[in-house]
Amino acid sequence: MPEESTSAKKYLRTTLEVSALRKKYYAESLGETGRRKVAWCSNGIPSEILEAMDVNSVYVENYATVCASKRLSSGFCRAGERAGFSQDVCGYARILMGYLLGGSDTPERPYGGLAQPDFLVVNSYSCDSRLGWFATMHQTLGIPLYVLDSPYQPEGGCTDAANVVYTESQLTDFVGFLEEQTGARLDRNKLRLKLDMSRRASDIQTEIYEMRKAVPSPMGAGDAYTVVWPGMVLTGTKACDDFYEKLRAEVSGRVENRIGIVPEEKFRLLWSGLPFWYNMALLNYFEKFGGVVAIENAYFRSQKSLPSQHEDPIKDMAISSTKRRSYAGDIEERIGLTLDIVRDYHIDGVVLAYNTSCRMMYILQPELKNALDRFGIPNVNIECDMADERTYSEGQIKTRLDAFIERMLSAQK
Amino acid sequence: MDDRLIAAGLDIGSATSKVVLLENGKLLAYKIVPTGAESALSARRVFEISLGLTNLCLTQVGCIVATGYGRVIVPFAHETVTELTCHARGAHWLFPSVRTILDMGGQDCKAIRCNQDGQLENFVMNDKCAAGTGRFLELIARVMGLSLDELGQLSLEAETEIKINSTCAVFAKSEVTTLIREGHDKRDVLAGLHAAISARVYSLLRGVGVEPDFAITGGIGKNIGVVTSLEKRLGVKALVPEEPQIVGALGAALFAWDKLRR
Repeated sequence: MPEESTSAKKYLRTTLEVSALRKKYYAESLGETGRRKVAWCSNGIPSEILEAMDVNSVYVENYATVCASKRLSSGFCRAGERAGFSQDVCGYARILMGYLLGGSDTPERPYGGLAQPDFLVVNSYSCDSRLGWFATMHQTLGIPLYVLDSPYQPEGGCTDAANVVYTESQLTDFVGFLEEQTGARLDRNKLRLKLDMSRRASDIQTEIYEMRKAVPSPMGAGDAYTVVWPGMVLTGTKACDDFYEKLRAEVSGRVENRIGIVPEEKFRLLWSGLPFWYNMALLNYFEKFGGVVAIENAYFRSQKSLPSQHEDPIKDMAISSTKRRSYAGDIEERIGLTLDIVRDYHIDGVVLAYNTSCRMMYILQPELKNALDRFGIPNVNIECDMADERTYSEGQIKTRLDAFIERMLSAQK
Repeated sequence: MDDRLIAAGLDIGSATSKVVLLENGKLLAYKIVPTGAESALSARRVFEISLGLTNLCLTQVGCIVATGYGRVIVPFAHETVTELTCHARGAHWLFPSVRTILDMGGQDCKAIRCNQDGQLENFVMNDKCAAGTGRFLELIARVMGLSLDELGQLSLEAETEIKINSTCAVFAKSEVTTLIREGHDKRDVLAGLHAAISARVYSLLRGVGVEPDFAITGGIGKNIGVVTSLEKRLGVKALVPEEPQIVGALGAALFAWDKLRR
């Protein structure tokens, strides 16, 4: 019997274009080796600055998700563990450390591998494991590491002037680091242009999220977790802008024509946390029961960008980054954001992905579960790593999901 | 014309396979057999045995609902329902006042909340760890040279409760082996072991909140030591069915009966 596909079923034509964009991105990134400086970055590093400095930015966590989606994570994780990294360490980190240290005893590298880095850049924002992971890569590769520090964001954002000044000083220092590495000066006009493009793309994504409140759901999580990629990696480029323009038009058309994911939408779900990249088909599992994962909170955005207020784009960036309402911020903020999503997106139940190696995501889920229980919102937790497929147990997960579906459907009777 | 309406529930678990037959909504017969390496064969075998007990043939059974981890591999089932929903339904049928159920099976533990109609309201599962499962107790019985049935009663005869520190089945087994070698009384070790199990499942129960009445289902419900230890910890008396192992199959049979009487 042929093995079932583990890729999510995509319902939007535009989503299918991500594959070609990704392929092109990795090919160009490799092809530019030697011509541009290469930075291996964590997510959250402002790519507009790197773009404006003509640095080839490579987002390693995204590459880990690519390895997982191609079902290669076990081989890389095992190699990472052989090199001494515990199974409790972030799955993304183990994949990359396996990639770096596994030698010939690792799977074939997707897209021919990553461009060799000249330096590393990590953000302190949201995830503590990254700092240790990047520090280890710094030691392993013997190349410079820059840590871009972000202040703690309490509920509502840290809007006081001191935080803005601190963030601005960090960004300025980061620019200094890049100037030192590249031997070039930052062109602030170019950065302004990149920021304008990035704002446009970001606002379109916010509009798309807004459209997804529609019933029936015009775009499910299977598409959404794929279309998030250009916004994370290609921000500040025309390709990114064009992609989201096209996606907005398609989603808008589906809303107008009431085209949903399932013929008769019986229940709508929120996926809380990261998906299991090696089994994205799980996001479609509910469809045969009339359910759809209508929204996800991991990359959710509901705020439009702040307009440009200062001549210095760095100052604008500092203000924007301290005012965002984010899933990666304060726990109370994240619970509030998720409960708002439940209300606004007409959600009937929540799937809580307990990614045990992702502390940043995992720490929220028990508190969120308590909050959902308090409000009588059905929920189910499923424990797996987001990238290491060896933690996935089909029978156990399907039992939980089936019982959760039975519970919701019986409550509707 | 035969006016007997026969409904069947099959619970294909990791350790045992169970069948419950209902005739016109009333318990007709049940059977429990060990699940072998081939779950599908076990399902057929236990079903055939139960039909033999009642002189029925397959065509006389109007509806069959399968549950348990092996529910998807029962080729003759008309429908599948998860064991969580089935345990809620079965326990509620036996004890209509029940609202919280702890199913302690061969492979996992489940804390289940149901409403006044026996419908599943919430659940928490421990399926990543063998400690506190039937398989774990089988292992301990083997280590101690006892039968599974002896564990509960012996632990009640303990003079003291030896603390078991390990919460992992493998490490707990090593710890128990060491304690026995050191000359500790088996009864005291068992009392400690049952206390450790009840502490673990207590955390699980807190995940759904313990609302009375409270029932224990699954094979470990037969272990009076675990039941007593848990009752002490919870401060409530547990309702334990006469045959706690068949509650999932009973729930499945009740769902089959629903289909038949429509």
